[in-house]
Amino acid sequence: MTGLLLRRLLVVPPVLLAASVLVFALPRLAGVDPARAVLRARSADAVPDPAVEERIRASFGLDASPVEQYLRWLAAVLRGDLGNGYVSGVPVLAQVGTAATVSGLLTVLALVVAAAVGVPAGAYAARRPGGPLDRVLGAGTVAGVAVPEFVLAPWLVLLFAVGLGALPALGWGGPEHLVLPVLTLAAYPGALVAQLVRAETVTVLARPHVRAARAKGLGEHAVLWRHGVRLATTSVTALAGLLVAGLLGGSVVVEVVFAVPGLGRLLQQAVPAQDLPVIQAGTLLVVTVAVLAGVLVEIVATALDPVQRSARGAR
Amino acid sequence: MIVRRRGRLTLAALTTAVLLLAGCGGAAPAPGGELTVALQFPPRADYAFDADDGARLQSLGVAETLTTVDDGARPAPLLATSWEQQGDAWRFTLRQGVVFHDGTPLTPEAVVTALRYVAGVEAPPRAVRGTGFAIAVDGPDAVRITTAEPDPVLPLRMSSGNLGILAPAAYAGGGAPGYLRSGTGPFVLTEVDGAESAQLVRNDAYWGDRAGAARITVRYVEDPQARALAVQAGDVQFAEGIPQAQLDQVRSAGAEVVEYPNARTVPLQLNQSRPPFDDVRVRRAVTAAIDRPVLAGQVLGGGAAPAADLFGAAVPWGATAPPPAADVTTARRLLAEASHGPDDPLTVRLWTFPNRPELPTLATAVQAMLAEAGIRAEITVGNYEAQEPQVLAGDYDMFLNSRSYLSDFPDAASTLTSDYTCDGSYAIDRYCDPAYDALVDRLNGTADPVQRQELFRQAAGMLTADAVGVMLVHPVNTAVLRGATGFVPDPLQVRPVLPQLTPTG
Repeated sequence: MTGLLLRRLLVVPPVLLAASVLVFALPRLAGVDPARAVLRARSADAVPDPAVEERIRASFGLDASPVEQYLRWLAAVLRGDLGNGYVSGVPVLAQVGTAATVSGLLTVLALVVAAAVGVPAGAYAARRPGGPLDRVLGAGTVAGVAVPEFVLAPWLVLLFAVGLGALPALGWGGPEHLVLPVLTLAAYPGALVAQLVRAETVTVLARPHVRAARAKGLGEHAVLWRHGVRLATTSVTALAGLLVAGLLGGSVVVEVVFAVPGLGRLLQQAVPAQDLPVIQAGTLLVVTVAVLAGVLVEIVATALDPVQRSARGAR
Repeated sequence: MIVRRRGRLTLAALTTAVLLLAGCGGAAPAPGGELTVALQFPPRADYAFDADDGARLQSLGVAETLTTVDDGARPAPLLATSWEQQGDAWRFTLRQGVVFHDGTPLTPEAVVTALRYVAGVEAPPRAVRGTGFAIAVDGPDAVRITTAEPDPVLPLRMSSGNLGILAPAAYAGGGAPGYLRSGTGPFVLTEVDGAESAQLVRNDAYWGDRAGAARITVRYVEDPQARALAVQAGDVQFAEGIPQAQLDQVRSAGAEVVEYPNARTVPLQLNQSRPPFDDVRVRRAVTAAIDRPVLAGQVLGGGAAPAADLFGAAVPWGATAPPPAADVTTARRLLAEASHGPDDPLTVRLWTFPNRPELPTLATAVQAMLAEAGIRAEITVGNYEAQEPQVLAGDYDMFLNSRSYLSDFPDAASTLTSDYTCDGSYAIDRYCDPAYDALVDRLNGTADPVQRQELFRQAAGMLTADAVGVMLVHPVNTAVLRGATGFVPDPLQVRPVLPQLTPTG
């Protein structure tokens, strides 16, 4: 297990280094001229003034070679210095830190809700495949997977904020502001988890050892949870890594629609403004979280699954 | 008995009337309450005066400038009560009794500190950039502003929101000025949460009319649908920039909808530096082929007014008569005259960009209209940044653009010069006519607003006569109110928006 942990963690630095090269190079390869971007972002409709552009270029250190700029940027990032936004002039660390806290909270809550709803829904649907509950939940999960966030979010607002007046339509502050964004974010992973748990549980419940357990008089509830769901959670755990990455990326729509000051919204504002330090820091953070979540999930899944654990241990 | 019954009926009727009036209380202004508003564009540069953000402090009613403008787009008093030109300089007499939000008085020294700061930054705002701007104290109640050349529109320039004046303490740090509690306007900015929100409190010591609300929470909400839903849910009482598709929805929720002109034009720019658009007959054929009323009314669903001219209803000198509908027969005739007929169909490239979502939609409609007349347009929707160098270098055929024709203060000289003179810095159409340049040159010596506006009109008329591109539409601004009243539309976008808003009910 320790060997597995080390092997997996050793992969992380080179992956992140490669990601840092891409994060730094891609905007420039896409034709973004940072100096011009600074000017344009501050003053819309501006016809670039070459003299001002040159002064901006020099003051931001953009006149150095790309390799030098990259190395300087990487060294600063490793020191924890993300600099100031080109456009706002505000420290990037503060901007990204605040936004990541918001997105992190939304992501964790969405995963909790997805698991809390998806696991029991999938388990109970698996008890009688083809039964009324299974069919209803099946339709619900298909809708949960198929309906995109930009459609679901306004419908939730229309129902809970406009119709019932029970929740705020947008904003950030109190616990009430969490409900609709979390529900929107949890719909897709919740449906996916329910589908996965149902499929796995149906398979497990048909296995001989489960039939034997039933024959020995074990109650249906215990059979379902001890034998069926327990094994299905291994697959759900493996899925969690992908879901974290998906939620971090997918939160853009939710954060924009609900005016939530998270990482997705920060990036959504920074990209058209071409605020490179913010784009680079935000993207690098998302990549880092996704990579670490993937590694963590693999380790946890191995720890949970005795078959995998013994197979890896034998290597 | 009958009398008593009548008395009861009267009482019931009166009670009903009172209850109805109470129910309709939403329409009665109730000054002193609180409002939450949803604004479209978040601050991108931390309210910096040298960026477009500078004008935000003005529109919020926080910072004020030396002058403002009246409905005729003429300079009007604000922190300066009068001004006079003295050669290369203008002398502005300051209003007495004005106090900054931090309690210090407005003095000539404070004005000099503020304006020297903004004129001295790396990239000064357009209103003063390249003018040789210099300012000095001129007596106990005035400042003197000098420019490299005599400037006929300096009082108008001083209305630019980028030239707001904050208390001297705001500039003491040496960097960007501190904007909290340092303006002179009807609202005090007390708190800012980045690009998310801002808190305004009424300035009860304001020198002018008091604001309608005691406190306003400003939320920056970029998603138009979210703004509309927030109005419907009652989360905000005022929102700007609601798309046409959602206006009926907010109307049905009881909101008041205001539509007003925007000082912006969507032109189809035609490269005159090479064939086929170096031939005025082809340009006129394109103009005749395009049905601008259809573009505005049907393609954009009423979200724009059809453009007859470079300038529209947002400015006093703009054209308000609608443009003609398409005349395909004339278009085909003109093309035939220019030797482009069915045997020699004209194929051109039409470029545009998606930053403004209406542009790709318009490009598709224009493509269909041109096809009717026998012009095949191949559309490319790309990144504006990538397209601009080629477009400015004259390496394009057609470019569908979106252009504000006022830059920070309501005077069109800058656009008429940069976009259409022979040496213009943004002369995309590559139009060059000495007669036009001479006309625009006369603006340098014309201070009278009425005469200037007449010159603007004539210049726009020349562009239309020469078919310098096709001015397609002028976008329309929208605002909605529910639980508030008093919105005063400002097509010129240089006057405060929030101080007039008053809560209702």
